Amino acid sequence: MNMHNCTNMCLRYMLGILLLVLPAVLYGQTQRKVRGLVTNDRGEALIGVNVRVKGGNTGAITGENGRYQLVVPGNDATLVFSFVGFAPQEVPVGNRNIIDIQLQSTARDLEGLVVVGYGTQKKINLTGAVDQVGSEVFENRPLTNVTRGLQGVIPNLNIRMTDGKPTRSADYNVRGTTSIGAGGSALILIDGVPGDPNLVNPNDIASVTVLKDAAAAAIYGARGTFGVILITTKSPAKDKTVVNYTGNFSMNERTIKPKFVTNGYQWAKTFDEAYSSWNDYAAHAQKVNSVFPFSLDYLDELKRRNEDPSLPKVDINPANGEYVYYGNTDWMKELYADFNPSMEHNLSVSGSSRNVGYYLSGRYMSQKGIFRYNPDNFKTYNLRARGSVQAFPWLKIENDLSFTQTDYFYPILNHPNNTPVWRRVSDEAFPIAMLRNPDGTLTQNASIVFGSFISGNNQSELNRIQVRNTSRFRASLFRNKVHLNGDFTFWKLNDVETRIYTPVPYSKQPGVMLERGESKLNENDDKTTYLAANLYAEYEHTYRKHFFKAMAGYNYENSLLKSRYVQRDGIINTALPDFSLTNGLNYTLRGGGNEWRTIGGFFRLNYNYDERYLLEVNGRYDGTSKFPQTQQWGFFPSASAGWRVSREKFWTISPKAVSDVKLRASYGTLGNGNVQPYQFLETMSVNRLARVINGIRPDYTQQPNVIPNGLTWEKATTLNLGTDLAFLDNRLTTTFDWYVRRTKDMFTDGLPLPSVFGATEPKGNYADLETRGWELSIGWRNRSKGRNAFSYDLRLVLSDNQSVITRFNNPLGLINTYYEGMKVGDIWGFVTEGYFKDQHEIDTRGIDQSFIRVSAANKLLPGDIKFMDLDGDSAITEGAGTLADPGDRRVIGNTSPRYQFGLSSNMEWKGFFLSVFFQGVGKRDFWPGTDNSLFWGPYNRPYSWQPVDVVTNMWSEENPDAYFPRLRGYTALNSRAELRVPQTRYLQNVAYIRLKNLSIGYNLPASLISRAGMSNVRVYLTGQNLWTWTPMYRHVKTMDPEVIEGADPELASGAGNGMSYPMLKTYTFGINVTFK
Amino acid sequence: MKQRLLYILLGMVLFTACDHDLDLKPFDKLSPENAFNTEKDLQLYANSFYLILPDGSDIVRGDALSDYLVGRTPSNYIYGSFGPTQATGWSWSNLRKVNYFLEHAGQAQIPAEALEHYLGLARFFRAWFYFDKVKQFGDVPWYGKTLDVDDPDLYKPRDPRTLVMDSVLADLDYACAHLRDAKDNSASQVTRWVALAFKSRVCLFEGTFRRYQPQLGLAGTADRWLDEAIAAAEELIQSNKYQLLTSGDADKNYRNLFTNETPNSTEVMLAAVNSKSLRVFNDANWYWTSATYGGRYSFIKKFINTYLKTDGTPFTAQPGYNNIPFVEEVKGRDLRLRQSIRMGDYTRDGVIAPPDFTYTYTGYMPIKLTLDAKATDGVAENYNSLPLIRYAEVLLNYAEAKAERGTFTSADWEATIARLRQRAGITSAPFPTTADTYLQQSYFPGISDPVLLEIRRERGIELCLEGFRYDDLKRWRAGKLLENQYDGMYVPALNTLMDLNEDGRMDVSFVESIPAEKVPGVYYFLIDNVQFRLTGGNSGNLVLFDNLQRKYEDYKYFYPIPYNEIVLNSNLEQNPGWTD
Repeated sequence: MNMHNCTNMCLRYMLGILLLVLPAVLYGQTQRKVRGLVTNDRGEALIGVNVRVKGGNTGAITGENGRYQLVVPGNDATLVFSFVGFAPQEVPVGNRNIIDIQLQSTARDLEGLVVVGYGTQKKINLTGAVDQVGSEVFENRPLTNVTRGLQGVIPNLNIRMTDGKPTRSADYNVRGTTSIGAGGSALILIDGVPGDPNLVNPNDIASVTVLKDAAAAAIYGARGTFGVILITTKSPAKDKTVVNYTGNFSMNERTIKPKFVTNGYQWAKTFDEAYSSWNDYAAHAQKVNSVFPFSLDYLDELKRRNEDPSLPKVDINPANGEYVYYGNTDWMKELYADFNPSMEHNLSVSGSSRNVGYYLSGRYMSQKGIFRYNPDNFKTYNLRARGSVQAFPWLKIENDLSFTQTDYFYPILNHPNNTPVWRRVSDEAFPIAMLRNPDGTLTQNASIVFGSFISGNNQSELNRIQVRNTSRFRASLFRNKVHLNGDFTFWKLNDVETRIYTPVPYSKQPGVMLERGESKLNENDDKTTYLAANLYAEYEHTYRKHFFKAMAGYNYENSLLKSRYVQRDGIINTALPDFSLTNGLNYTLRGGGNEWRTIGGFFRLNYNYDERYLLEVNGRYDGTSKFPQTQQWGFFPSASAGWRVSREKFWTISPKAVSDVKLRASYGTLGNGNVQPYQFLETMSVNRLARVINGIRPDYTQQPNVIPNGLTWEKATTLNLGTDLAFLDNRLTTTFDWYVRRTKDMFTDGLPLPSVFGATEPKGNYADLETRGWELSIGWRNRSKGRNAFSYDLRLVLSDNQSVITRFNNPLGLINTYYEGMKVGDIWGFVTEGYFKDQHEIDTRGIDQSFIRVSAANKLLPGDIKFMDLDGDSAITEGAGTLADPGDRRVIGNTSPRYQFGLSSNMEWKGFFLSVFFQGVGKRDFWPGTDNSLFWGPYNRPYSWQPVDVVTNMWSEENPDAYFPRLRGYTALNSRAELRVPQTRYLQNVAYIRLKNLSIGYNLPASLISRAGMSNVRVYLTGQNLWTWTPMYRHVKTMDPEVIEGADPELASGAGNGMSYPMLKTYTFGINVTFK
Repeated sequence: MKQRLLYILLGMVLFTACDHDLDLKPFDKLSPENAFNTEKDLQLYANSFYLILPDGSDIVRGDALSDYLVGRTPSNYIYGSFGPTQATGWSWSNLRKVNYFLEHAGQAQIPAEALEHYLGLARFFRAWFYFDKVKQFGDVPWYGKTLDVDDPDLYKPRDPRTLVMDSVLADLDYACAHLRDAKDNSASQVTRWVALAFKSRVCLFEGTFRRYQPQLGLAGTADRWLDEAIAAAEELIQSNKYQLLTSGDADKNYRNLFTNETPNSTEVMLAAVNSKSLRVFNDANWYWTSATYGGRYSFIKKFINTYLKTDGTPFTAQPGYNNIPFVEEVKGRDLRLRQSIRMGDYTRDGVIAPPDFTYTYTGYMPIKLTLDAKATDGVAENYNSLPLIRYAEVLLNYAEAKAERGTFTSADWEATIARLRQRAGITSAPFPTTADTYLQQSYFPGISDPVLLEIRRERGIELCLEGFRYDDLKRWRAGKLLENQYDGMYVPALNTLMDLNEDGRMDVSFVESIPAEKVPGVYYFLIDNVQFRLTGGNSGNLVLFDNLQRKYEDYKYFYPIPYNEIVLNSNLEQNPGWTD
């Protein structure tokens, strides 16, 4: 067996030795000296390793030659070796005087084991594009879910967290646009079985691996087409009992607190100007949006009251007896609390003795929400029980049971479209309006914006429960040459969301109460039952320098979703929202669901010669119920090879300079099985008619969707070239991969048919896409010499990808859809030339700009935007909207995030540690879009928010170089209006860099804590999202650069960009205690 | 033992993965095989046909393009640039819905009577679909089947109007022959009677359209269609299933047809039923009572002038009829006027409500379709049902078709127009013998038949705001009326406070500039002499928006086919006059 083989073996021998020496612990209690040598797994001396006696207060540090010496109290003492970047080890002393030890480096080390599909592999022998991180990415930071913790840590694992909602998750995208047809994100497996990463306790995770190229993912066939994420949970501790408690307490606040005008008079003046400017200064508003009366008289009165603060802010209109408000309300202050707390407690007990091992853990995390009234409340509970029995020397049986419950309480508006609160606040919460009337009742505007938060009983209650159990066995046969593995997983997921709506009371005149909104209750209940089974065998053989490994297996998965939706109106008692206490005529009861099944047979062959020439072949024969009968089965092969140049005889460069050089290449094709079930069948759904027929709203059905003939799989072919390099004694390591992925036969819209067809054109395998990209990781690790050594590491990950459409049914070359040659994410827009300086310029420019509207009568004035006449026809138009005639538009930017990066560093000195993690995007364009009041303020709707950044930077004769043009309401809203049309000047650069995590901590000295029976106590302070910078902030600092993609998707995603739960900044104090 | 244990373990894993069937079917949806087997199945599918009918909010908008309303901005069809790239309405999914049903309904093993009833229902809706298409575009392609992706008929040219309308008539005849004939008192279902009423509408349209649009070259075939209209209406009238609603307060019974939640099936034959408890709403109040949400539409004076006086004489017969202040002008008129606009003692929530110039431009502010309670002003929650077909229209169809055929008798007059006028509180409605000069000069210069003129007057008043007007203008070839000057109420003097409803409170003042000192509750209407002016400068009738030039050329009788469709099917020929 060669020396680089399985580090497992080393571990096993060591544990054997431990077992042998344990009885010796009973003897001998005299103090004596012990010495030894500490090396790494290559046999090189390690300097500065901390060696101490467990439970005692003596300790030592290895010297320049890796040697140490210390006094132990007796034979039953245990030595603890710890060193940054290496797994700590404990060694009972026994009767030995010399204890030499090899420390194992942690997962990200060059020699480490990497989890791959159905097995593990030494990193040096990898030929595919694989990346792995260990538990450290989840440490010292409270996380509401795993997804948030994985953002930015693995190059080209692209996770976009689009807001700060505690339940927010994201698609796991690997390497950019996958398919514009069926779509598809990475397959996520937890201990080898598909699962929801957000239902895993982050503290239970040992490692996360990403398989990026076709060769690495091929073993998962059609489900792994666009990458595979393997989450491996922690195993029982070896031969000891370890109890660990982690607890932390946090305060959260918004990352961005936009500054809005809150002075009523100032606001109203700008409002009036924005309104009348759109109406060519010929009309003034009669209402501020829908209910708040407005007139120039009112404005005058507001001015008077603003100048004399002793005057009352609320009055009564003698004409109709209704309140008149003259407020200066800071609605954001009313909406949000200053800080919101969260906490996390995690306890794990793990251990093993002889043939039995166990791992038990429990976690509770809660986060109170950001709202001031009836705030949201997130709670999650995790429980895990894992046990294993070595039933016979050849058979190990394991069971892993986990339970997760997540509860999320979320206040909602009583509004028929489920508008997110931010949108209503931007539309109806004017500083001049007020929250409460003098008698304490809510005003009409308050009832529209978030009165439902204050009155209560308008909320969503989400309850998610998961029970999941995996049983597995591993049998070693034929003298350990063959291993047979089997597992069976049962997974039940129950998601219930209840929404309660009760009318909001408010008042417009003293003594008269009114109500707004519906009284109803609805509940959505989704139950998923999932079964999976795997059976696979491995064979391994080494002959001289030839290593051969084969694996073959079988996989079965079945998923059944059953849904139920119930709604009824007429809640009898608002304090008791329950279906038994509703009496409305409108009730809905709907079922639904789907079922799919996959069956696959797979194999993998590995061969290497002297760990110098590496070869791997994978294949999978896959069947899925998601395709029509003739297309259910497919075979998907892949191959990869590696060459470790540094192991060649001719390689004479010292490992101290260049330690390792490996070249890799892989190629493979996978079918895309990431499609929804039943897409290929004619189906006719039954729904409730929106018309009344004979006194009821009956059900109806109608013609089915049209399905095409001859559908087939989408296929993705990936070519990957990579290299792994290590320098300076492995202190500097780099991995670089370049790839091209061609997705063919994407399932997209067919050729546009004449409308007389009468149905949506059936989709078919009509489009191709090519994605090219690369990813780079650079790691550096070092420590100073001497007793108080300072050790640190640095890691940079950087990746990029770009996708181009290579085939699409768009013969006219329309630019409002995909076309051949289009870069995915391209933004077409006009080119802003500047502002019109004066009337003379408007009269004489000679370019007809009437296509773009600046006001109701479309009369240009100085300070309006001048557009460039790109096509020279003396008119600004959109042309025919085709590539041949795009009018005066060109591609002005691209929304795809480019150069995504993560930069992390850990430092340790005398028990203190500091870790820093920056994450960001290097290049990305963003068009603020319509109904984005955060960015446009009064240019959107005249009555919207007025960000200070915007209203202090508007064109005027005195300020002709302002960033924003002449103030005109509705120009960012109405179609074809001056700020509604995408254009160069207001295109935002939303590249960003963010300090995602900063932790400072201290490991209490052993001498202090051992008396309390603890082996390790760590206290830390952590800040998350502490600092962010984006070029967008040069103009407007009202949006978080991550929270720009639509609105809260659980409510109404189309309500405007940025209308979402704010991203949170978190300050944490935490403690981590270990008993051994 | 080792072997046995292994077998057991292997068996356990494989056993759990026992079901290897990969042909999974959806369990929460129907498929064509099981959706057309029983009468209930056909009913379930047929319910979807009702989505083809306009809903309440569609009806509310039905007259936005008409000669008698002025709003915030004129329709872009007559003002500004409009062309094939802006065109809409070439959508065909409703036809596929019906044809798919016709192709599959035969699957059901049910009695012939039942099957024929459902086939009749489907064909009624196909006729409804094609009638809309023909009214909008003229010639359209006829499809009696669902189309496959590769069907060459996708690319066929338009079929002649005669072929399409003959097919529509065949569908309607089938429907009238086979639809069940029990009267539906909920006024929400299509019955044989509804089909007859609709047939009279279609045939009157087609007959008069062919007569007055001679460029079609089909004038000679008009009589056949008029005869069909007469026959259908006659059968319905003689069945006595429906009557004009005359019970109750003469001041209210006309408007009650539009403001009641439950349609009154004495007269209403088919309605867009709205319901508070079922939460099916229209948005009439929001549309008509908002400065921004709706179009701020008001009637123009030229139309209000056509309302007769209660004694049966034309308002326009008196000298100086254009110079009568609003308060006086609306008194003693056809009772439908007070049920169509705000005037006199009109109240909302018990508070007297004069015309509100926040919403109206001319002073003639419509209330016909809205509720008097303010509760639904700002939300789309009107629960009043709005008629789609009512008996009054059948009487008007009958009268007009007969008049066009020259067979209209004084008995017919008594049975139709006179009845409508009686209900409207008009005391004397004699058979007309002289042509009304106002109608002739201001509206229909080409018509000299006194009866026909009165029928057209009656139709305009009785059916106003119900979505008939633009179709009527097309078939009468009276599209030029869309270029009507927008005139409003008479303003005796500038800068004078006016009380429009005699409640002692001043409501409006037309001013040259907004005064510094304002009287509370008064709306100051700025006469800027650009958008708004008075015919006499300092006094006279309001004239609105005559700075906006509206144009209705003859080619606009046929709406353009959307540009994209002509690109997709080069055999489609654009309607003449339209260029891209």
